[in-house]
Amino acid sequence: MPKEIDIMRLLKRLFDLDNLITDKEADKKIGFKIDEEVGLMSLKKERASLLKEIPKEYAETYERLKKRYPLAIAEVKNGFCFGCFQQLPTEMLTKSNEIVCCPNCGRILFWREE
Amino acid sequence: MNLASLLSRERINLELKSTKKEEVLKDLVYMIKSKTDAELIYTTLLKREELGSTGIGKGIAIPHCRSLAVSKLEIAVGRTVKPVDFNAIDKKPVNLFFLIIAPPQDPGNQYLITLGKIVQIAKEITRANLLSKINTPDEFIAKINEIEKGMSKKR
Repeated sequence: MPKEIDIMRLLKRLFDLDNLITDKEADKKIGFKIDEEVGLMSLKKERASLLKEIPKEYAETYERLKKRYPLAIAEVKNGFCFGCFQQLPTEMLTKSNEIVCCPNCGRILFWREE
Repeated sequence: MNLASLLSRERINLELKSTKKEEVLKDLVYMIKSKTDAELIYTTLLKREELGSTGIGKGIAIPHCRSLAVSKLEIAVGRTVKPVDFNAIDKKPVNLFFLIIAPPQDPGNQYLITLGKIVQIAKEITRANLLSKINTPDEFIAKINEIEKGMSKKR
């Protein structure tokens, strides 16, 4: 079982990858060329492989959240979840080494490393 | 949104020595971030290039993505000493690179607006053959400012 810090790293990669797929239509409108076949397939393969690397419980949480929200991971800033903008309980204000979800919206939380 | 205000001379390198696509991307990313954040951005950018080259032709590439590694829109500019093969749309090598990294949450679509604007400005730089006349980061920022002002007058 990978360490939580490594799982979070994988979740962030998955999240950034998902945003690439989401943004491809906007990219096309701006004028960038998008390879809908080989290119997109490669990203989807990478996505599947990342999901296999992430322990099942976290992968399922991520996938469930992704169906519910456009952004499944949210930053904690000034004690607030920047997904739902609700204040977090006191015990969640400092950076956690564990993977935790917002008690209000359920998004996976992350603390920026300064 | 003024593009020139998003640029800083520390993040403009007009003498990149890199000769490969991957090296250039790494050079640009490390102007913005370091360590794990830089690695996350670099990995995402490589994937973005698999989806289609961000080389828009005429020697320009605009690698870009949204990433959890940044909390605000970040831009870096690089000019390579020798043009680099970037699998660009016109198959010509690239020597001017604008790197744009945006946070996932992007209020007011600042990212896409800036991306569109950079495409226009970059084309203007090549159309007027300005790149070879720019020698320092300060000159680069001043030129971008000038082009932007010209573009807003035309509107």
